[in-house]
Amino acid sequence: MNDTAFVSTGQVGRSLPRVEARAKVTGTAEYIHNFRLPGMLIGKICRSTVPHGRIRHIDTSAAAAIPGVYAIVTGEDIRKIIPDPYYGPAFHDQPILALDKVRFVGEPVAVALAADPHIAENAARAITVEYDELPAVYDEVEAVTATAYVHDVLKPAGTFADLKHLVGRRQTNVALDFHLRRGDVEAEFAAADHVFAHEFRTQQVMHTPLEPFVSVAEAANGAVTIHTASQNPSFVRVEIARLLGLKENRVRVRTAFLGGGFGGKLYIKLEALVTALTLIAQRPVKVSLTMEEQFFTITRHPCTFRIKSAVTKDGRVTARKCEVYYNGGAYADIGPRVAQKSGFAAAGPYDIANVHIDSFETYTNRPPAGALRGFGTPQLVWAYESHTDLIARALSLDPVEFRRRNLLRDGRPQATGTVMRDAPLAAVLERAAAAIGWGQPFDRGSGPVKRGRGIAIGFKASISPTASVAIVNLSGDGSCTLYCGTVDMGQGSTTAMAQIAADCLGIEAETVRVIAADTDVTPYDMGTLGSRSTYHMGLAIQRAAADAKAKLAALAAELGVPEGTNLPIAELFRRKYGAQAGNIIGTGSFMPSHKSPDPQTGQTDDATPYWMSAATGCEVEVDTETGRFRILRLVNVADCGTAINPRIVETQLTGATVMQLGFTVYEGMEFTDGQLRNPSFAEYKIPGIRDMPARLEGEIVTSRQGGGPFGAKGVGESGTYAVSPAIANAIHDAVGVRISALPITAEKVYRALREAAGNPLPED
Amino acid sequence: MTPFELVEPASLGEALALLDPDDPAVRPIGGGTALMLMMKAGFFEPRRLVSLRGLGPGITGINEGADGALDIGAMVRLGQLERSPVIRRAAPVIAETLVTHSNVRVRNVATIGGNLAHGDPHMDLPPVLIALGAEVVAASPSGERRIAVENLVESYLETALGGDELITSLHIPSQRNRRAAYIKVTARSADDWPALGVAVSLAVENRAIRAPRIAIGAATETAMRLPKAEAALTGGASWRDTGREAAAEAPVIGDHHGSAAYKRVLVGVTVERALRRALAGVEIAG
Repeated sequence: MNDTAFVSTGQVGRSLPRVEARAKVTGTAEYIHNFRLPGMLIGKICRSTVPHGRIRHIDTSAAAAIPGVYAIVTGEDIRKIIPDPYYGPAFHDQPILALDKVRFVGEPVAVALAADPHIAENAARAITVEYDELPAVYDEVEAVTATAYVHDVLKPAGTFADLKHLVGRRQTNVALDFHLRRGDVEAEFAAADHVFAHEFRTQQVMHTPLEPFVSVAEAANGAVTIHTASQNPSFVRVEIARLLGLKENRVRVRTAFLGGGFGGKLYIKLEALVTALTLIAQRPVKVSLTMEEQFFTITRHPCTFRIKSAVTKDGRVTARKCEVYYNGGAYADIGPRVAQKSGFAAAGPYDIANVHIDSFETYTNRPPAGALRGFGTPQLVWAYESHTDLIARALSLDPVEFRRRNLLRDGRPQATGTVMRDAPLAAVLERAAAAIGWGQPFDRGSGPVKRGRGIAIGFKASISPTASVAIVNLSGDGSCTLYCGTVDMGQGSTTAMAQIAADCLGIEAETVRVIAADTDVTPYDMGTLGSRSTYHMGLAIQRAAADAKAKLAALAAELGVPEGTNLPIAELFRRKYGAQAGNIIGTGSFMPSHKSPDPQTGQTDDATPYWMSAATGCEVEVDTETGRFRILRLVNVADCGTAINPRIVETQLTGATVMQLGFTVYEGMEFTDGQLRNPSFAEYKIPGIRDMPARLEGEIVTSRQGGGPFGAKGVGESGTYAVSPAIANAIHDAVGVRISALPITAEKVYRALREAAGNPLPED
Repeated sequence: MTPFELVEPASLGEALALLDPDDPAVRPIGGGTALMLMMKAGFFEPRRLVSLRGLGPGITGINEGADGALDIGAMVRLGQLERSPVIRRAAPVIAETLVTHSNVRVRNVATIGGNLAHGDPHMDLPPVLIALGAEVVAASPSGERRIAVENLVESYLETALGGDELITSLHIPSQRNRRAAYIKVTARSADDWPALGVAVSLAVENRAIRAPRIAIGAATETAMRLPKAEAALTGGASWRDTGREAAAEAPVIGDHHGSAAYKRVLVGVTVERALRRALAGVEIAG
């Protein structure tokens, strides 16, 4: 079937207000955070106080003696009912509660259960744990050669063919090493006019959804139901079924609206824990984290990126070598996928003949890292776009012109060998440059205040291959219900999916009812992640709608109604059943083609079904007496193919921009010997309304994604790609100093200014 | 959080009687914005909280004396101060300071008495009130006393107040003929606690600066005056040199917001700028 054969009936492209907006503002939208069951117990977690250690003894007696405490549960209690209680999407490395060892400060060690959350909390505090501390490793580069090993043996999950070579590997902290080889970089470096090498670093940050992680489980009659704020209930079901030795149809996982996800609520978070607890307690159990406990749950990878380029004297990049170290923390989560799927794009959106990439996912004794709005891409763009700017400046080339000369054009192979299609990188770059007024004179500031402009561009492949299944149900009155497992965590997917279904069926999007993900009801979906839903689920919905339409046509034919009739659907049903009765069920599924990269060279001619790109333009004002800076203007231009709902796309872009702005200038988890020094929102600051740039803009370029539903593709992450280097490049333009490690703080800028003036500021 | 006793006495005498100087788990509570954070984090587990919100108009009013002095009840919310026409006229620097203090939700709940009694160095108001020469009125079973705001806080979260003593009001002397400015410097988001706060207050007579008060907060263990910088300014030092004096004098400490070396730079620059702001449009001799 040709997916682009659909001609829009006008529902796609409408800036329809979100269908759930009224429910949200009137407080009637469901969130699992508010969910309660009769007889429900609350679990509060006792967490590790050491970064790496063997558990010598857990004393639960004082906690268990507190009146009102139902039970204290440890990892050993869980091992009695789940013999191998380790989970994870890539590695089965994470115990439901710590077993034998702890691997980071904050790791769950035991749980206190009580009907009263305050009693449970007190009891969790009354649990005492003794450890024999072990040597620890915290840095992603040191982890590669360290002799302190976070895990005794690597345990790949087996679901990924390309992780099989890691099975049983010992004495290593490298959870995945991805290699890409194209051409001969060393020969090019030897012969090049210029060679540039830099190192860039990013810090550990976290998702900070305003609804923290929350899961509720209940078990009865050999089946388990989990109510959870999850971005991928289908995965949770498969993983819980595996842990319990059940068939999938004995595990029900349902969600509601999520108060933010950003990649944090993927895979298993609290679901295995509440399941084990309900099986032990034989009562429903809810675990609802505090905002602060999220620091110890999942984060964004810190990253060290060493990048080296060969450049001709006329500004063509001929070779690039990338060494990328992702700090995955104590458990792999989806980190190996980050290292590989983002790693292959580490050389940037440029046409470079010789590319050498080594991308490592490392274990360290820090909180785990996983997906966070960009899946490792913002870390890469930070490095390659800072590097690109430095090269342009060193060669006295205009930074936009230098990018223009090297940009990967449609029809040219990317470093994997996959030919770039429908990625209007040039249009995105040019639009961002025009929007910021690139090349035009502007006020460069006066006195101690200097102004500058910066630009950066990034791109990302869709994670592949992944599957989505959808069901369109037409009822006796002709109304449409859409069953799709895409989770609406604030990105507006309910509205977008209703628009796609409605457009295919020729009905008003407002009339479509979208059923939230519930594995008893909605069919399989790999997950709401990686900007994949609009494309993958959108295509599944298109196919489901086509199937429903075909069945309607067959029904019309059966009833002797002429083809192309305008007879309402309800009338067809009435003629068929003699009443308002019956259903037509259309089903559709989508999974793109894909070819795994060659394990030695990373080469494949089918790495991804589509590419996403975005460019950021920034104007900044720097106070040279203090290093403090103010972002006057931040413009983010992205390519999302057809915008299903232009207004929601714009807010996705500005939302992602602001989130990445926080990761660029404010946020950072600060550690000393594995202890998080700022585990509260008093000391970990996210941007507020007064931190918005004076001008904050999101724009989309006109394009069409071949193969996408109505020419659309994802856009949830695009706004994050290029923000950080655009800001650093603008600061460089303003005051001539380069910040190479995030976050960019005023103190760093000031210190760099003093350094450049030959008068460095003392450390203290 | 452990269950605890919450009492709401209707009079000051009753409130004082409910406090227990020998039990640190008994504390008064105003708006609770700071105390609740400590309770949530498990740093403070109260046995009894004595809420002051039922104490009536005596500690909830803002009064201006004939000479322009202000008496502000301890339970006045920061948001009330921010919006008060009396404050905006008689001590506008307070209202200006509060606009960027924390956020509107906190300001609408937090009280001036609690803000001062908490003794947190990362606050905006203490240096401002020190610069204005303010005093708190504190009551205990043994009577009432006045404590200059600059003497109220002794060290990190430690104040001169006894365990059975409450701040009942704040007295700000007349600011007529004086000018003041406050500059807050945050190292992270705009609603962050300050990395540094600098307040200056001074009079100008015959094109000369008289009786300047320069106070800093947040960068030091407690908010404090900088007497050497004040003396330098009185002696005719330039704003820049006054700033340098302040940076040399202030016992700045490093923390999450920045290193001590960097904050000393900020002190110098910010004192200079606060003076420039306070004296905007005024001609000074020399």
